[in-house]
Amino acid sequence: MSLLRRVLVVLLIAALSAPVAVVAQDEEEPQMGQWEACADPENLPEVVTIGAIFGQSGNISVYGIPQSQAVALAVNQINEAEYLGEGVTLEVIYEDSAGANEQAIAAMTKLVEEDGVVAVLGPTLSSEAFSADPIAQENGVPVMGVSNTAAGITDMGEFVFRDSLPEASVIPGTVAQATEIFGLEKVGVLYGNDDDFTISGYDVFVAALEENEVEILDEATFARGDVDFNAQLTQLLSLEPDALVVSALAAEATQIIVQARQLGFEGPIIGGNGFNSPAVLANAGEASNGVVVGAAWNIASPDPLSVLFAEEYEEEYGALPDQFTAQAYTGAWLMATAIRCADSTDSADVRDALAAITDFPSPLGVFSFDENRNPVHDPVAQIAKDGAFAVLSAETAGE
Amino acid sequence: MDSFLQQVVNAVSLGAIYSLFALGYALVFSILGVLNLAHSAVFMTGAFVGLLLVDKLHQPLWIAAPLAMIAAGFVSILLEFVAFRPLRQRGAARMSQLISSIGAALLIVNLAQLAFKPLWGGTEAYFPQGLVPDQPIVIEALSLRIVPIRMIILVIALALVIALQYLVMRTRIGQQMRAVAFNQRTAALLGINVGRVYVLTFFLAGLLGGAAGLLYGLVFLNVTPFIGDDVALVGLTAIVLGGLGSINGALVGGFLVAAIQTFSIAIGGSNYKNAVVFGLLFVLLLARPQGLFGQSESTRA
Amino acid sequence: MDALTQALVDILRPLGITEPVLQFMLVNAILGISIYLTLYTGMFSLANAGFMAIGAYAGVAATQFLGMPLWLGLIIGMAVAGIISLPIGLPVLRLKDIYLAIATIGFGEVVIILLLNFDEIISSIATALQGERVRIRLLEGARGIKGIPKSTETWMLFAFLALLMFLLWRLHKSRLGRAMAAIREDERAAANMGINVVYVKNVVFVMSAVVAASAGVFSAHLTRIISPGAYGFDKAVDILSFAVLGGTSTWVGPIVGGLVMGALPEVLRFLNDLRGVFIGLILLGVILFLPGGLINPAGVRLLLRRARRALRRRADAAERSSHAAP
Repeated sequence: MSLLRRVLVVLLIAALSAPVAVVAQDEEEPQMGQWEACADPENLPEVVTIGAIFGQSGNISVYGIPQSQAVALAVNQINEAEYLGEGVTLEVIYEDSAGANEQAIAAMTKLVEEDGVVAVLGPTLSSEAFSADPIAQENGVPVMGVSNTAAGITDMGEFVFRDSLPEASVIPGTVAQATEIFGLEKVGVLYGNDDDFTISGYDVFVAALEENEVEILDEATFARGDVDFNAQLTQLLSLEPDALVVSALAAEATQIIVQARQLGFEGPIIGGNGFNSPAVLANAGEASNGVVVGAAWNIASPDPLSVLFAEEYEEEYGALPDQFTAQAYTGAWLMATAIRCADSTDSADVRDALAAITDFPSPLGVFSFDENRNPVHDPVAQIAKDGAFAVLSAETAGE
Repeated sequence: MDSFLQQVVNAVSLGAIYSLFALGYALVFSILGVLNLAHSAVFMTGAFVGLLLVDKLHQPLWIAAPLAMIAAGFVSILLEFVAFRPLRQRGAARMSQLISSIGAALLIVNLAQLAFKPLWGGTEAYFPQGLVPDQPIVIEALSLRIVPIRMIILVIALALVIALQYLVMRTRIGQQMRAVAFNQRTAALLGINVGRVYVLTFFLAGLLGGAAGLLYGLVFLNVTPFIGDDVALVGLTAIVLGGLGSINGALVGGFLVAAIQTFSIAIGGSNYKNAVVFGLLFVLLLARPQGLFGQSESTRA
Repeated sequence: MDALTQALVDILRPLGITEPVLQFMLVNAILGISIYLTLYTGMFSLANAGFMAIGAYAGVAATQFLGMPLWLGLIIGMAVAGIISLPIGLPVLRLKDIYLAIATIGFGEVVIILLLNFDEIISSIATALQGERVRIRLLEGARGIKGIPKSTETWMLFAFLALLMFLLWRLHKSRLGRAMAAIREDERAAANMGINVVYVKNVVFVMSAVVAASAGVFSAHLTRIISPGAYGFDKAVDILSFAVLGGTSTWVGPIVGGLVMGALPEVLRFLNDLRGVFIGLILLGVILFLPGGLINPAGVRLLLRRARRALRRRADAAERSSHAAP
């Protein structure tokens, strides 16, 4: 039934977009869990429990709720496919961190010390990870961040992983490519200075711009929750930059794009991971033309697994997934794969199996961990054109 | 600074939104003398109900808008009955009424969060694009760009203030409101139904707050249970700057805060825009606690 | 001491209270004392979160950058907050209720903005002095200071709280304590009685700041990372809720309020999505139905009196009916 549906979905998409169709026909029917690096497990107990810490209440829930939904989607598929062996169910204990370090610590302690989970996914924020991950490390329980992009996350210890590409792996490539294609010489930089995520992005942007010898005319900042950026934009645009470089989360990114266009700016707007939400395209509409995004994952990715995930997620929850959601989904699959390959619920075994994962096909692309337990997969630089993202090239940027 | 005029336009259009929100705050304070910190939750209700009607029930805006305002008005009345009246009747201090409004706001936001999840699969939802005119009008000669919806908000804000002024100054019910504001006991002795005046005040404040929330949603499209937080402190600052309890003051305060923020950014101080706002607030509070337009406590009306 | 803590945690564990939760509950109790001091004097100040931030950053600067032990960091954090609170308090404490609340909210916001931009400020000063562009990274702005050792132990929190409680007990019996109560009841009358109102208010404000700072230092060495965003308006309201929940008629109230508010999110974890709604309901319920908060001797006495009266009435009725029976 669901297999049939998936095939239909893929066929439908294939029919709608010719280049994808070629890929889809050539390959075996795309599906998660076809990674054949280890045998079917035999020694797992009937129920394997992992934990997940996401911000499900408060401001942070904008990211945390989709993340827990994505994990639930993955776990359903994992159990349906009997991925962990016949009669073995993967269970997840979800804990809310509410975006507070104290609650993240309490949740991690509960999961690791009280519930005795095999492994933990999350927490949502990098600051929560810095607070809570040491507890997992001390107890020898693997923890995988699915949205922690700050520098130094995995330095906390060998049990700390992440599948979220740090900004430093994404932005430099995008900036280099954009500089070449658009011949950038001088830009204006706009960033959120009260948020760890956006300021990390800013750091990397500045370094990448210096590297490419692009002059920063001026910098302006905003705070989380700001909605009106006309003042900052007017200020930056009065200096006539070749492009705007923006480090912002999705909600602010949308406003910045729309308002920059309303103020008459027609050049490229270069953004980081935060731009990478379907909401940006959907809500900026026409204005999003010329938005360049370097990102770990993008809903326009033609990868069949990515297309499948986006379809399934939308069907289940009635909303489009963003990058953090895709990373949460992949994270759950990675963790299940580690348990499967370890064929054990011993946390240390699972850790070793997790670290050994290479070339894992996922919505994020072909995924591996490097020696520091950071993700390795190709980021994509894309440009918005006529309400959709296309891979950035001289052609798509077409002057 | 050739972008000066554009920055003036920016400040005015931002100020219109701040002012509209601050009006409801000011109205409740002027009649009851209490700060209703749950007004930000009323603001959110306006955007939430508007979005619900437009996005889920597919109603046109001209039906959704008044319904959203009325819904916010009723939430506001509910606040009076749940968070304010019981405490007032007990003779509790104004401070505890303020605290109870914080508790009520917390509750409303949490309830909204519960409602968001099944409706929109998360805590974030968007108004469809193109509901309101958002293509800028370009005035080449002055190199100005004006977004129509921002000007519509400005007009609506001004119209609502004038309507409110008329209601308070020229109508019988307005007379009663002023009497209650002046002295609740005397008003009661004069045969005014004080309880009814309070309910009406909250309803009007709710209408204004709901309208502000809805317009905010229409301009920025993005609606979450937490959008009230974005304006709560700004609105508070605006009414204190303008003078607590002064309706005109709230209007001016909103524009003033927007102007301070905008021009702090224009001179390159975007990091410190709110520091400047609060710094000025600080100085003003010390020099003239009643605000720019406020009357001193004893003659408040 | 450790065995004692362990025993306590074992008792509380079924409720969902693990040792880290207990530690944050104790930090909250300290914060409860901080806001109690000002409220008891009739000052509606919401500056506690700001002073907590100052304490946390000053304390961490001492332990992280200068390699000092925690106790020295604690003293430095408290001292810095105390020194900063004095020039803030002098002008601000002339304001009353809502105006004071708003001014102190403003103070809190300014503290956060300055912490966010601290590196930039010193960088531009250094740039001006050196004549070339210097980038200094010290407090790391929104990135936060990471890798703070978790050196706060539960026994330290117990000991510090006990010390504070002892000092509070002494305070209430002192002249200063009586002056605080007098100012709360009627500031003008207190002044007429010869109480130096400005002096007392400022002393209390400084004490409150110092106590909040100590909570900041302790919690910073529990969370391992500090960033300015954690000390904003939400935190100020949180701290206020400790006092509201516990009640401010005795100093026990805010301590209990802090403990309970620290425990509630963890104890109610089983409610999942309904957790926030429940906490809101509990808070609003206490405000509406227990005007004096959870700990309110006057309220308890009132309740007892009512209960006694009801019992007596029932006894009377029973006696009467037993008389009537035969």
